[in-house]
This record gives sequence, C-alpha cells and structure tokens, in this order.
Amino acid sequence: MAMPALAHQPGRDARLPTIGAAPPFALTTADGERLALNDLRGKVAAVTFIYATCTDTCPLLTAKLAELSKRMGKDFGTKVVFVAITVDPERDTPDVLRRYAQAHGARGAGWAFLTGTPAEIKDVAQRYGVFARKTDRGAVDHTFLTSLVDRTGTLRVQYMGVRFDPDEMLRDLHSLLRESGR
Amino acid sequence: MERRAVLRALSAGVIGSISVAPRAFAAEPPPETTRIRLNRYPFDVACVAPQWLAEELLRAEGFKTVEYVSITGDADQMVAGKIDMMFLDAPGLIQAVDEGQALLGLGGMHGGCYELFGTSHVRSVLDLRGRTVAVSTKGRHAFVAAMASYVGLNPRKDLKIVLTADAKQQFVDGKVDAVLGFPPEPQEFRARKIGRLIVDTTADRPWSQYFCCFATGNRDFVRTHPVATKRVLRALVKAVDICAAEPEKVVRGLIDRGFLKDHDYSLQALRDVPYRRWREYDSADTIRFFALRMHEAGVIKSSPQKIIADGMDWRFINELKRELKG
Repeated sequence: MAMPALAHQPGRDARLPTIGAAPPFALTTADGERLALNDLRGKVAAVTFIYATCTDTCPLLTAKLAELSKRMGKDFGTKVVFVAITVDPERDTPDVLRRYAQAHGARGAGWAFLTGTPAEIKDVAQRYGVFARKTDRGAVDHTFLTSLVDRTGTLRVQYMGVRFDPDEMLRDLHSLLRESGR
Repeated sequence: MERRAVLRALSAGVIGSISVAPRAFAAEPPPETTRIRLNRYPFDVACVAPQWLAEELLRAEGFKTVEYVSITGDADQMVAGKIDMMFLDAPGLIQAVDEGQALLGLGGMHGGCYELFGTSHVRSVLDLRGRTVAVSTKGRHAFVAAMASYVGLNPRKDLKIVLTADAKQQFVDGKVDAVLGFPPEPQEFRARKIGRLIVDTTADRPWSQYFCCFATGNRDFVRTHPVATKRVLRALVKAVDICAAEPEKVVRGLIDRGFLKDHDYSLQALRDVPYRRWREYDSADTIRFFALRMHEAGVIKSSPQKIIADGMDWRFINELKRELKG
C-alpha cells in the first residue's frame, strides 16, 4: 500500500501550508512554572495532547515524539520544543506529569508537559480542535492531534492520530527550521 | 503590511485553517453560521458514521447548533435546503449533478461500502442478464447500472433494476435475484449466510480503487458559507480518521446516542469500510470513473468533465489534505 503521507505530499521541498495564528495558551509546567505559547516565539513547537494514566495510545505517541526529539539532535531544546498538554487536568498535577515524562523518556529542556484548570484545558483543547471526554471508567476519550507551530506562532500543519510517519514530521520540523532561518 | 505585523494584528484564539498564499494569510474567521444541519436515518447506515461522530468536533469548530435531520435516502432534502451537508455515494452524487440539482461534491470520504449479493443462481454480474436486482436509492440504481455496463450488459434491456424501499427484505424473501447492500446490510447477509456475494466494492477491482461516499453540500450553502464548509469538512475528516482508529468506541457511542441500533453488524461494517483512504484516493478520478460508466449505461447525459465542472468543488479537501496529515 502506498504511504498515505506521501500520497498527498506536493513535494518534499514544498512549503508547509499556513493555517493561521496558533491558538494561544498559558498553562503550568511540570516544574510548576507558567508557560505561554508566546514564550516559545523563535522556536518551532510541536503541540500535542495526552494524559498520564492512559495505558494505550498516549504512551505510544509520547514514545514516538521522544524518538523524534533524539533525531533532532542539538536543535531539540534550542530551536525545537515539544509541548504535551494534558486532557486530564484533575489528575495530572505537575508532579504526575513529571513522573510521566521521566517514565516515557521525554526528558530535557525541549519538553514541556502542561496542565491547568479544567476550564483552561477545555478551552485550549477545543481551540486546537481536540475533543476530550471522561468516560465512566475514568479514562479519557480524546482525539490525537499534534500541531506544528512555526517560530512566528503560526499553525502550519496538524497530524491526526499516532500512526503518522515520523520521518515526515521530522522533514516538516526541519522545513520549518530552514524556513525560519531565511 | 509586514507578515509579522499581520501576525501581531491577528486576534488571539482562533482555530486556524484557511490555507492561502504564503505572506498573505489570515487566521481563519469563525464560521458564517453557527448552525449546521446534517442527516441521519431511521434505520442503520453504518458507513456514514463519521457524520454523527463529528458532533462534538463540529462544536469545537464553532457550530453552536448541530442538527441531524432524518431522511430515508438520496439528497432531496439537501437540495431542498433542509440539510446543509451529508455523505452521498458517488453514483448518487453524479446523477444529481447531471439532473442539475443544486449540490456540490466536496471530496471523497471513504471507499468500499457496497456489496452486490445474489441468489444461488447468480455467480457473477453477467448472470444478472434477464434477472431482477433490488435497490433502495437512486444512487444504488445508478451503481448497479454502472456495474452491469462495465461487464457489457445493457442495464436498460438486459436486466431489471427495481427501486424499492424494502430492497433488502425483497431479497431475503426471495422476490428478487440480487440486491445491492449497504452497510450494515452486507455484514448481516454474510453473518446470516443470506445469498451469495457477487461484488465486494471494498476488495474487488476496479470498484475498490475509488471512493464510495463523498461529503456533499447544498450548493448555496457552500457558496455563501465557505468558512463553515471547510470547518464542517475538517470535522468530518477527523471523524473519518477516528472511525478507522477506534471503530469499537465509535459504534458504542453511536448506539448510546441512538444513531445506530445493531452493535455487531455496525462494528463489522466500520472495520470493513476503508476509511483511511480519504488522503490517498483522488476524488476527481472517482467521479470520472463512475461518470464514464454511468454515461455508457445511459444513466446520465453529461460528460465527466461537465459533471466535475458543474458539481464538484475540491478546494476545501485539497487544503485539508495538506493541513491535516495522519
């Protein structure tokens, strides 16, 4: 079967689309500090949504991003950051998120795990197009959407699910870095 | 204005999405309307589940009122302006455009769906010569005509295609020789060992190489609500991806909400339908293919080019294919 990611790709050198201003946020990091999207100006950011007690898909997504962070080399942290926002703010305190990050190899200055009040989280998730709902069993049903935001705070492309091609995301991250350096 | 200055001037908090030329973009404005009307059915139709799954995603896109209008088939209610958007199969869409109906195909959502079942006397489409096939919508009528034409039968002379609301029951009762089933009917036929599978459009070429259902909009709605149209389409393709990834959860949720009744057949249908193809397949190829077959069969008068020019608008899906990877 053809790779879906390549089938619609206009070309590896094509500029990524410009979707619009990335929805802003100001949330609490795993270190208890406040972090806003504006603070990330000048860096390329991948913004995604997870929750710490998830036992199936969130760890897969985090592991995939952790592997990508390694492949970014010295650019990770200095030029590229990965932001993981919880969709379970009632349970995901900064401490819980810190432990989750450590457990899944998401370490280093390039990572930000964010939590906030339920209202803050609901608002930012909705504005990124992520739907999240608590189930009766305590899990959180949510859509997986990872958004790439360029150095100017512009939303450029989104990845649905966790089956996306990591090579393609790596190319897109490099593309945004090259573009920003022009 | 400098690009950065434009950025600074943008109001915060908008979900972005209209893709425009670099250096001239603006954040996507809110939808022109906060009300959207889609369709539902009084019976199980599983493959269009993304429409119903999309309700919360539509709210996230800025639609405060999401209505589901009950219909029994075809696009009459959408043409009449009572529904803004719905899934419509390619033959039904082409036929409607050929008839000059005021709707626009916006992009293929998934392949597969249809399965042609025959009695024990029918082993191939060619065996339909002199026999009767039951279908329950005009689109399915056109689909069977296209299938017959593809193998050299004249659908007007060589077989009888009966349009009836109880097509499935007529086949089960042995009153017709074949039926074109739509999910979850084929799943039920297979499970209950009713009839013989003749064509499976999910697996059998050439049908499996093309889309079945297209997101389709009322033409006036699309033209006067381009932002809303793109936002609806974005919610729909996200829902399509979710159907592919989590069919069990989707079916459970839709049964709870009353959109589906039968769990097992619906779940099997969602597992069977190739939802992941919306990024891969070419919508225009599908329309050309079916329009050619339908033209051969005498079902439509227009050429494929005219059908595409008059009744298709790929702007939104093309933008989404670039913006929403997966």
